Amino acid sequence: MPKIKINGNEVEVPQGSTIIQAFKATGVEICHYCWHPGLSVAGVCRLCMVQIEGMPKLQIACNTEVKEGMVINNTSDVVKETVRWGLDFHLINHPLDCPICDQAGECGLQDQYMKFGQYDPEMAENKVKKHKVVDLGPTVVLDSERCILCSRCVRFTDEVSKTNELGIFNRGDRCEIGTVAGKPLANNYSLNTVDICPVGALTSKDFRFRQRVWYLKEADSICPGCSTGCNVKVNYNEEGLWRIRPRENKEVNGHWMCDVGRDSYKFVNLKNRLVAGKVGQRGSWQEVTATDAARSAGLKLRETVAQHGPDSVALVVTGQYTNEEYHRLFTFFTVNLESNNIFHWMNNPETTKDFDGLLFRGDRNPNTKGVVDALGSFALKAKWEDLQSQLSSRKIKVVVVAGPENQAVFPDMTEKITFFAQAESMIWLTAGQSEALNQTGAETWQIPLKTYIEKSGSFTNVQGKVQTFKVGTTIVAQAFTLSEVVELFSGQELNWNLRPHSLGGVKTNYSIANRGAL
Amino acid sequence: MPSQQSLLLSEHYGKPDFAKLEGYKKHGGYAVLAKALKMEPKAIIDEVKSSGLRGRGGAGFPTGMKWSFLPANGEPRYLLCNADEGEPGTFKDRLMMERAPHQLIEGMIISAFAIGCKKSYIYIRGEYDFAKEVVAGAIVEAYKAGLLGKNILGSGFDHDMDVYSGAGAYICGEETGMISSLEGLKGQPKLKPPFPAVQGYLRKPTIVNNVETLAAVKYIIRDGAPAYKKYGTEKSPGTKLFSVSGNVVKPGNYEVVLGMPLKDLIFDLCGGLKPGRKLKAVIPGGSSAPVLTAEEAMKATMDYECLAQMGSMLGSGAIIVIDDSNSMVDLLQVIMHFYHHESCGQCTPCREGTGWLSKILHDIASGHAEVKDIDLVKKISEQMMGKTICALSDAAAMAAISFVTKFRSEFEQHLQAGKRTLGSSAHA
Repeated sequence: MPKIKINGNEVEVPQGSTIIQAFKATGVEICHYCWHPGLSVAGVCRLCMVQIEGMPKLQIACNTEVKEGMVINNTSDVVKETVRWGLDFHLINHPLDCPICDQAGECGLQDQYMKFGQYDPEMAENKVKKHKVVDLGPTVVLDSERCILCSRCVRFTDEVSKTNELGIFNRGDRCEIGTVAGKPLANNYSLNTVDICPVGALTSKDFRFRQRVWYLKEADSICPGCSTGCNVKVNYNEEGLWRIRPRENKEVNGHWMCDVGRDSYKFVNLKNRLVAGKVGQRGSWQEVTATDAARSAGLKLRETVAQHGPDSVALVVTGQYTNEEYHRLFTFFTVNLESNNIFHWMNNPETTKDFDGLLFRGDRNPNTKGVVDALGSFALKAKWEDLQSQLSSRKIKVVVVAGPENQAVFPDMTEKITFFAQAESMIWLTAGQSEALNQTGAETWQIPLKTYIEKSGSFTNVQGKVQTFKVGTTIVAQAFTLSEVVELFSGQELNWNLRPHSLGGVKTNYSIANRGAL
Repeated sequence: MPSQQSLLLSEHYGKPDFAKLEGYKKHGGYAVLAKALKMEPKAIIDEVKSSGLRGRGGAGFPTGMKWSFLPANGEPRYLLCNADEGEPGTFKDRLMMERAPHQLIEGMIISAFAIGCKKSYIYIRGEYDFAKEVVAGAIVEAYKAGLLGKNILGSGFDHDMDVYSGAGAYICGEETGMISSLEGLKGQPKLKPPFPAVQGYLRKPTIVNNVETLAAVKYIIRDGAPAYKKYGTEKSPGTKLFSVSGNVVKPGNYEVVLGMPLKDLIFDLCGGLKPGRKLKAVIPGGSSAPVLTAEEAMKATMDYECLAQMGSMLGSGAIIVIDDSNSMVDLLQVIMHFYHHESCGQCTPCREGTGWLSKILHDIASGHAEVKDIDLVKKISEQMMGKTICALSDAAAMAAISFVTKFRSEFEQHLQAGKRTLGSSAHA
């Protein structure tokens, strides 16, 4: 490990590091745009200039490897002046339209100007005019005037998505990012280009103009979109979730996530959610509190077992819940109800093994491995065919379904509702509203559940990696985790002090206040 | 030193048949190749090294040393001839290719043999249609005569050569820009390190040499390094083709020994200025080379050291002579327009700086500027120096700095005159 000196402080960094990596590792500030840890070195923004003792010219930190004994400085007047001018060069043709720019508040130009710039601009000439509102594809819009040509997006499509849609066209200050005619930026990773764009040149069609970023809060989570389990950060406010972006984890998703995963904020929001309990059947639904629904469902369950024995009830689970919830639910069924009738609902077995080679997997459940492991640890071996025969022979009276959190990835939802409705009664634990479920003729309890962002727990991803996450925010105050439902099923009381309070109905961020700072 | 041409490379350029294989052979063509192929490759490199030959493209880097940067293993390697002669004022490579294509090819085969390279390309500037035709024709002739291809002249050495046409970008004359272009990518310079000698064309070790450099190798091997060193000065040995343009009576290409006084070149060989004109300035090495004032030009000798000492450079050997009928403001505006047009746009200081300079110069030239803008030109230029991947930014900056520093009063006068004109017309 070479020992080097950065701004007078001796540090040790791994062999083969570049200077910019050494700066990052030791937390020393350095201005840069084009360098990105997940991409090749371009060396074009010319802002990470450092002074190295013994070298006549300033060097770029991103393309210079550290050597034993190197003395590096980026706080000297020469470097500061260079960086100031470097920023000025970036900004002379930039439209400075921050008030109407979506990137404002999380913009590299704004941030770095405040940190390293703060000069009085001397540019008095007309700015170069370029294309605005360029439709690059289904997800991304380009504003060429804002673009600083750092080439991150181009390198991303070359090196990561390997789809090569983007290129830099023309020369000099007429350079513009663009796509080749007939080949739009349309791949499942396209929105990463928006994340890595340090300015407001690339914006997401889904997010642009919807929120000012400084009004949004951020929470870490795990993407529930597929079995990869990308680490993500979720932006939300009191109205709900607005976007999901990747969070670095070298072992799972690197710096990236797919566009499909980014959509997994939508089903969480209020208009798609079951906000209270519902008891009844087609044409005669009665809205009750979630607690009452859970209590009466629990009563029904225990009575059925008492009357017809443990085999008269069944539990169906999907791979969309946390390991902790599976454990609690399976314990309740196998110990309290003494029933081993637990079945795993696989939504799309034929695509489960699919993988695009980068992140996206055909198994659209975040915790298939978790549910399989839990079934194994409880020595549960019931087969789907058993459920089929027991339902048609009317042996099963009550089916408890821990249904899909994200119904969109369960194309067989309607079909399965009809299938489960062969039992006398259904207890549906579900985060979302379902029209198909509202049309069922069987006596049904609908109990609202929390989504991944509203609870803590862990998912086991396809690699077998157990990834924990915490409560981000609360969208539906009445909703439960499966563990909480189990408490109510078994006639226990919940610790209501730990529950989010319902303010004027449904939305509150109380859980955050309880948890302290994010 | 007598003020005359020293015809080494260009000895037979006046003979029409020299461009054809038969004519070339009549004047001793390919005899040197036969000699070289019997030598040890290392001996050739040593000969070139001790000749002190420096790259004739612009940077003046010692050729032998460049060759010795190649890794000493059997890895495939490439030799690229840089014939993308784009430096404003330069037109020597064109002449060499049109008049003596075999001289270049012979020099290239010898060089390729020395560095153990089996494939070379001649990257010719897009606009040089005729040169391309001549060189491509000469390569065909050479193949037919067994001078290219398998087992050249029975030596067991194989070599293939091809012509590749640029598309007219100045930046493709920068060696890594040229490599990008040859690879089919956008012609823009690559980040160094790695240097081409380690990882160049197709990520293989690559040597890029100028047309004149490669042609000169032939003469070093023919006559030996000591004989070659008799030409020129100690640190700048050899002859060099200078492309003289501008306000001289006889513009053209002149091969002279390095170290010749610029004064002699202009006033003796090129017939001096037109009657009644006074010398104002000279750009000694293409538009990238800082301009010399008339006084400096009178003292300058055309070698790498003297010009470097004067803060300019020999560059590609393009001498642009400027007399008092020209406006330095207009000239700089044109030069800045050129660099603005040709910046590849990769590095921010160059992409934005060249455009900014061009606009300011336009404003100054049209009288819509203030004296402080002259200082701004200097400030911008200083921040463009040494801050980018390649030297295009430095070239633009050096030109701008030298103009506004050495001819500042002319810029100021121009602005004041412009103001008066504008003022009076506005008044009217």
